[in-house]
Amino acid sequence: MKNQLHLITSLCFMFVVQLCLAQKEISGNVSDSSGHLPGVNVIIKGTSNGTQTDFDGNYSITGDIGDVISFSYVGKVTQELTIGYSSTINVIFEDDNQLEEVIVIAYGTSKKDAFTGSATQIKAEDISKRSVTNVISVLDGASAGVKLTPANGQPGSSPTIRIRGIGSVNASSNPLIIVDGVEFVGNFSSLNPNDIEKLTVLKDAASTSLYGSRAANGVILITTKKGKSGEEVFTLDVSQGINSRSIPEYERVNAEEYYPLMWEALRNGFSISGTTPQNDANQMASNQIFGNLLTNPFNVPNTEIVTTNGQLNPDAELLYPEDLNWQTPLLRGATRSNVNFSYSGGSEKTNFYSSLSYLKDEGYIIRSNFERITGRINVNSKFNDWLKTGLNVSATTSTSNNAADGSSVGLANPFRTTRLIAPIYPVYLHNPITGAYLLDESGNRQFDLGENRVGSSSGRHIIQETLLNKDKNKTTSLNARTYAEATFLKDFTFTFNAALDKRFFNNTIFDNTIVGDGATDGRGGRDVIVNTTTNYNQLLKYNRDFGNHSLGVLLGHENFHTERNFLTGFRSGLVADGNDELINFTTTLDLDSNTRNLTREGYFSNVTYDFNDKYYLSGSYRRDGSSRFAKDSRWGQFYSVGASWRMDRESFIQKINWINTLKLRGSYGEVGNDDLGSFYISQALFGLGFNNQTEGGILFSAIGNKDLTWETNVQSDIALEFGLFNDRVSGTVEYYNRKSKDLLFEVPLPVSSGVDDFPDNIGDMTNKGLEVDLNIKIVDNDDFKWRFNINAATLKNEITKLPQEEIINGSKKLVVGGDIFAYWLRDWYGVDPKDGSGLYILDLEKGEVGDADVRTTDDGTVVTTNQNKAKFDFVGTATPDLFGAFSSDLTYKGIELGFTFTYQLGGETYDTNYSALMHSGDYGVALSRDILNRWQKPGDVTDVPRLDDNQVAAFGAGSDRWLVKSDYLALRTLRLGYNLPSFIIDKMGVRAAKLYITGENLFVINARKGLESGQNFNGTTQNRFSPSRNISLGFNLKF
Amino acid sequence: MKTINKLIVLILMFTSVVFSSCDKEYLDELPTEDISAVSATETADNLLAIVNGIHRSLYLTYQGSQGKGGIGAMMIQNDALGEDYVMTGAANGWFNNAYKWNDHTNANDSDDLFPYRTYYRIIRNANIVINGADGATGDEALKNAAKGQALFYRAWAHFQMVQLYGKRYEAGTENAQLGIPIRLTAGSGPLARNTVEEVYTQVNQDLDDAIVALGEYSRINKSHIDRSVAQGLKARVALVQGNYLVAAEYAEMAQEGYTLMNADDYFNNFSDYGSDEWMWGSHIVEDHTLFFANYGAFISRNYSSSNIRGNPKAINSTLYNTIPSTDVRSTIFDPSGDHLNLPTGVSLLPTHGLRPYTSQKFLAVGTGDSRMDVPYMRVSEMYLIEAEAKARLGAADAASALLDMAIVRDPSYTLSTNTGTALVDEILLQRRWELWGEGFRFYDLKRMNLPLDRNGANHIQALTIVFDVPVGDNRWQWLIPQDALDANPLLVQNPL
Repeated sequence: MKNQLHLITSLCFMFVVQLCLAQKEISGNVSDSSGHLPGVNVIIKGTSNGTQTDFDGNYSITGDIGDVISFSYVGKVTQELTIGYSSTINVIFEDDNQLEEVIVIAYGTSKKDAFTGSATQIKAEDISKRSVTNVISVLDGASAGVKLTPANGQPGSSPTIRIRGIGSVNASSNPLIIVDGVEFVGNFSSLNPNDIEKLTVLKDAASTSLYGSRAANGVILITTKKGKSGEEVFTLDVSQGINSRSIPEYERVNAEEYYPLMWEALRNGFSISGTTPQNDANQMASNQIFGNLLTNPFNVPNTEIVTTNGQLNPDAELLYPEDLNWQTPLLRGATRSNVNFSYSGGSEKTNFYSSLSYLKDEGYIIRSNFERITGRINVNSKFNDWLKTGLNVSATTSTSNNAADGSSVGLANPFRTTRLIAPIYPVYLHNPITGAYLLDESGNRQFDLGENRVGSSSGRHIIQETLLNKDKNKTTSLNARTYAEATFLKDFTFTFNAALDKRFFNNTIFDNTIVGDGATDGRGGRDVIVNTTTNYNQLLKYNRDFGNHSLGVLLGHENFHTERNFLTGFRSGLVADGNDELINFTTTLDLDSNTRNLTREGYFSNVTYDFNDKYYLSGSYRRDGSSRFAKDSRWGQFYSVGASWRMDRESFIQKINWINTLKLRGSYGEVGNDDLGSFYISQALFGLGFNNQTEGGILFSAIGNKDLTWETNVQSDIALEFGLFNDRVSGTVEYYNRKSKDLLFEVPLPVSSGVDDFPDNIGDMTNKGLEVDLNIKIVDNDDFKWRFNINAATLKNEITKLPQEEIINGSKKLVVGGDIFAYWLRDWYGVDPKDGSGLYILDLEKGEVGDADVRTTDDGTVVTTNQNKAKFDFVGTATPDLFGAFSSDLTYKGIELGFTFTYQLGGETYDTNYSALMHSGDYGVALSRDILNRWQKPGDVTDVPRLDDNQVAAFGAGSDRWLVKSDYLALRTLRLGYNLPSFIIDKMGVRAAKLYITGENLFVINARKGLESGQNFNGTTQNRFSPSRNISLGFNLKF
Repeated sequence: MKTINKLIVLILMFTSVVFSSCDKEYLDELPTEDISAVSATETADNLLAIVNGIHRSLYLTYQGSQGKGGIGAMMIQNDALGEDYVMTGAANGWFNNAYKWNDHTNANDSDDLFPYRTYYRIIRNANIVINGADGATGDEALKNAAKGQALFYRAWAHFQMVQLYGKRYEAGTENAQLGIPIRLTAGSGPLARNTVEEVYTQVNQDLDDAIVALGEYSRINKSHIDRSVAQGLKARVALVQGNYLVAAEYAEMAQEGYTLMNADDYFNNFSDYGSDEWMWGSHIVEDHTLFFANYGAFISRNYSSSNIRGNPKAINSTLYNTIPSTDVRSTIFDPSGDHLNLPTGVSLLPTHGLRPYTSQKFLAVGTGDSRMDVPYMRVSEMYLIEAEAKARLGAADAASALLDMAIVRDPSYTLSTNTGTALVDEILLQRRWELWGEGFRFYDLKRMNLPLDRNGANHIQALTIVFDVPVGDNRWQWLIPQDALDANPLLVQNPL
């Protein structure tokens, strides 16, 4: 406050005295919220007359009255003040203004002007508008070319991120995540989104290459909040919301439809696949259908459920219609409660930020939840005029109960099981005649353990298993950062950063004794993982302006070490009920521990130069060593060069008055990816842990490769940034080309060698694309602002070199010239109208015309009913043509309204989940409603083959029949806020108050109900805990 | 003063660079879950650790699959391909396709790859021991124990595979048909398929060497290999080769020191490798369990897995009906399927599906613990080999060799009056009763050039699909796995 007064006084003074012209000496002090600022460039505009502030922020310069003095400093908005009669000009850089113009970059910050790389920044105010548990979720749609797979519905789970395509085939394609300067090891759910000041996505080599061997997949920098001097702020943010399922279930047939359909599958098995005459087959099917399904939910005898003409017995009525939906007892209306409190401020020398938060986020599946407490203190202090130091410490503890979706096909996966269980099986036991619930001694309903079910659900009960079993994570994270920064010899700064991150993860498993994998003995397990990461770096910076030239040099050195200590125990034989501690079991099934270490060291340098604030150059170099590789292969060199040209500062552009900003920039560089999986991938090893009873045993485990090294990305980038019509329209058009080289492949060895493969750097791939980001200020008044943003990116992926001619992996095949996610599947032709058989294009190497299972269609196509003779072909790709987001923010007086949509055009999804519901007669497995379009009688023209229990494998085989367009439009977030007007907040005694309502994952429009488009980058679907929708109501108070 | 302070701080900060970069070893990290390949062959003790690893590799899960729990799973594959082993339900699907002959006839199927890949992994470890023994330090006796067992494993693995992937051995011919590559070093280069004759020659060579090397070796339990086991395998091999003199001789030698289980043990404690009848087996201790991948998770009657609850395994009803009611082996299958007569302490759960003719021969530790000892060689097989070989040779004591075993199973059994083919057939029937579920049937059908005939028994149409496979059909040869063909241009596929 005092400072502000000071500024205002100075400014007033200048106005008064500016009329008088005379050469004079001007002196003053430059400061910002953290105190006096040394090294600020002070120049009389249009001249080479300049100086810098000293360690106490003081300067003196000679100029004429009326001259303009420019004060510029990295990270601050340049201030220009006119010399007046006063000989003192003090300048205070405001923090609030710097946000737009400064970006966080590797090992520091940069003026946006001077930045030659490609980066997107998401600010605290945007993060605070979202009710996300995992801060990474806010990146969805935030930047062109950055694609996320939505986090699953387990609260706290993380989305997966790909920046500019897929960087690797077998090694990691995940970007490097740096939190406050240090590579992050752990789960993002340990970060309190409200603590985040900025999320910065670095996309090209110029911005990432200082991270050398880790930078190939892009970098995300997470910067936590700092306090501001002179301004003590309390904030309190409380929100309460509800979570529900965001992707609806596939549409499935009901019990009345299911029985006749399965009757038809049985009948056709007899009469079409078999040789039984149709009338006999009808009778047999009516007699036997119950025997194939084992449960009769109707009030008619077992042999009369379906009549011999395939209709449900008209007298049949369900005995317990309310008890046939397995999702009802599994789903719930869940709540999310969040309380955030922060206190920040500072004196002239010291600033601080502290926060506490509590979150309880329930999943919409029973028993799944996430509870988190976070705390953070960030203190920075100016010890004296040349030494600064600070400490940033955070602690998070969280507990989550997980809904088991680990294996898409696992019987303990509630999503799979409730989706696929036939609609004829009740949840609870019933009297088979009356349908009444069978109650236990205490009068409670009893779960039906499935003695009368067929298929994999027999003997299991997913609801009871979910209720009784436990899969609980407890995580504690401690993160500490400290630094000392000394300025010396006027232009030099030396910074020493040290960081320690600890993460304690504890998982408890309990499998009950009654039903499921743990029955009948009961099992309990513990996993304990302790991650310890230490990081040290030393940075020497030199910044100097020489007239119109300005030069910045950085020299750095860094050490990184991470240790993962793992302990697991698993026991069976529960002793006393209600206690899942390991002591309460009799038998040790597994007890193991191990420690894994990874060490890296790097030397790096960065030079920036600009001339006249128009031409900017930068160059970076890093030499990195990693313990992952053998001695002679472990050191690598990485570099980048970048340049930008502020064309808008050229006179020929300045003449065009509708152009405000025009910047052309480009970069080129080589960065690496050393995340090849195992820390010891290059070593030849024998594995421990192959004991035979009590005797120690080892087995050959890996052949290793001492020449193995990191993957390399050669990246080029060119972009035009523009601001037009008073910056009402601004944006970026950017083109990139990423060439991934020396990609890791497991090169197959002859199977008879007894080793599957060895790792080697073989394989190249390219990702290229065009990215467009456009911001439009539709209305831009003080009271009414309306902005619209749209971003879009194209992606072309091409494999350019492989170790083998082709690599088939699941539904994909890799070939040179192909796309990494190109589907290689049986070529589905359709359904034969004559007998309803599923037809595939024939592979002429596997069969020929004349074979019993080969047919020629009316249009002359040679097809087969035998899936093993079907021709495989490239039938599409999961890679999108275009993807991005559009969002809008509108503020009118105190009202804020905003939304973000994400979208994708092109690409296809292989919908395994749907295929499982479209079987041709898998007893006990639910059916999609699309099965109603099946072939039923000769002449039917349809794409759904006949039901036939003998043809389940043939008709349902993996083929392009299961591909569906991935195009989607999703409303990721919608937010409405109301800032209470001053007459109210004054009465309340607060500085600001805001009420808001936010929604996350509100809806998706796509090709099929039930489909979760974009679940995986490779286009496959799993029976996963689909993302949850959240609607929250909250308020935010500032004191 | 101020300047000096500043200097000190700066010096301290700069030296931190020196402290944190430092020595060359800074970037050397070693795993704790593995040891280096170099040290594995340095000492005889380490070689024995590899041999122990091989013993263990018989009960590991392969290819990340619940259906590939080591040799037990391969035994199930072999029985599932025959006619004596009956699936009573689809349950959760494991081995359903093997039963339909869909797995080994598809070169891309992971189950077709499973034996090929697994046995060659065993061979690689065995070769490391065999070739490393001379260079290792340590006691000669220990080295022999390691090398002898490794030679046995190399022979056994080649023998098991050649019976799957090669055409059957035909005594009296050159056997120039393609077998499998013989791998005698721990190298990684491509090898072509050797002839079946060459494979058998190598198998016999390795067994002869193993018998010598194991001459003095006294094992601590039956998961190890001693001379008798090597002799027993030699008898097996000779039987397949139609070398009946050798078969009978080695089968007789191998019996030494073993006693057949009495009826009571056979009924109550069959799956105990400590029994005097067991020659070689795996005993899975608690913390080595494979859970749902154990042999006992598929073949036992009492374990509560989805597979056993929904698909308890039955004996071919026609075969069952040939077992006299006085024979203990008639009591370990239940034609009613109700299993009201179980050993003490064993019970089924209400959720266990009940099906006719299901087996209770194998019993897991409990309904919640799928472990049981896995039988690879029992001495009753040696009696059967001896009897069969002698019967085929027309030896006078063939029937008495059978009597020695049969009377232990059935006190009412009397010396057979059969001779010639009738006696051989009687012995073979006994063999089917005796070895049900232990992984012999596919090998036996192929060895004797018999067709598959599942008709007229309790096989269910929808699960079985394939009821007949004539002799000479290409499907008697497992296809060379596509993965092997892809990575080795020298390999040739079997006729499709």
